[in-house]
Amino acid sequence: MTVTKVFAIFAAVFAVVYTIAFEWHWELFSYHPRLGTFGWGQQASINGPVMSWYGALATAVLVAAAISLATLPFLRKRSVPLWIGWAVPLACLAIWPWFLRAFFIR
Amino acid sequence: MYTFLLIIHGLLAVALLGGLTHQAFATLWPARSSGGFVSAYRSVAAARFANANVLLYVVTFALGSFIYPAYRVSVRTWVENARLWHISGLFEMKEQALAIGLGMLPFFWLVWKREDSAQAESARKWTTGMLCAIVWYSFLAGHIVNNVRGLYGL
Repeated sequence: MTVTKVFAIFAAVFAVVYTIAFEWHWELFSYHPRLGTFGWGQQASINGPVMSWYGALATAVLVAAAISLATLPFLRKRSVPLWIGWAVPLACLAIWPWFLRAFFIR
Repeated sequence: MYTFLLIIHGLLAVALLGGLTHQAFATLWPARSSGGFVSAYRSVAAARFANANVLLYVVTFALGSFIYPAYRVSVRTWVENARLWHISGLFEMKEQALAIGLGMLPFFWLVWKREDSAQAESARKWTTGMLCAIVWYSFLAGHIVNNVRGLYGL
């Protein structure tokens, strides 16, 4: 049993969690680029913009890694369907233009 | 310094674009013979590009992440003050697509290097095609944002 068996699960969970974390502000931390400082979770802007992208990435990496490793014991005699490694990220990509529609429809 | 890093980021993106496009062509539209430029372009050993493409994606992504705050503070503020919302949206879509692509990299590596089933062949086509599309979109969106003042005569 190797850890590579869960890579399809990681890709799928990462895409879903990243999408949710960014859209619903579940970022692990925020960054204030003008001040060069970090703060836990969602932060209000202080003297300039606040960036949640790094924090959403961190949330997605941690949650996807945790869920992937948690599924590992259940995969001793089973294989993961490979299609979830591309179909779920593809579905998440397809949702993003809808989330960002306010930029294009004004 | 940010201009220098942006140029390096762009050059790495060109290398990644070349590698992924080669791999995608060889996977999605494999050549039956190696005669002629187009057939030769499609007849590369696609699996040999996998490690290099993963490495280039990670390095290009990391460098882009490093210079991103400069964009957020200076460029995006300017773009939004100019009310070019769609330009800002192009870049937003780029950052979301690249992040999802980043999460796919271990799986991409797996289907090219470890798996050899019929299911893996289909997964190879989809992951390579998706990453190629993400990188092409991001490259073009990045260039449009980078050249926004010239493009809009501002």
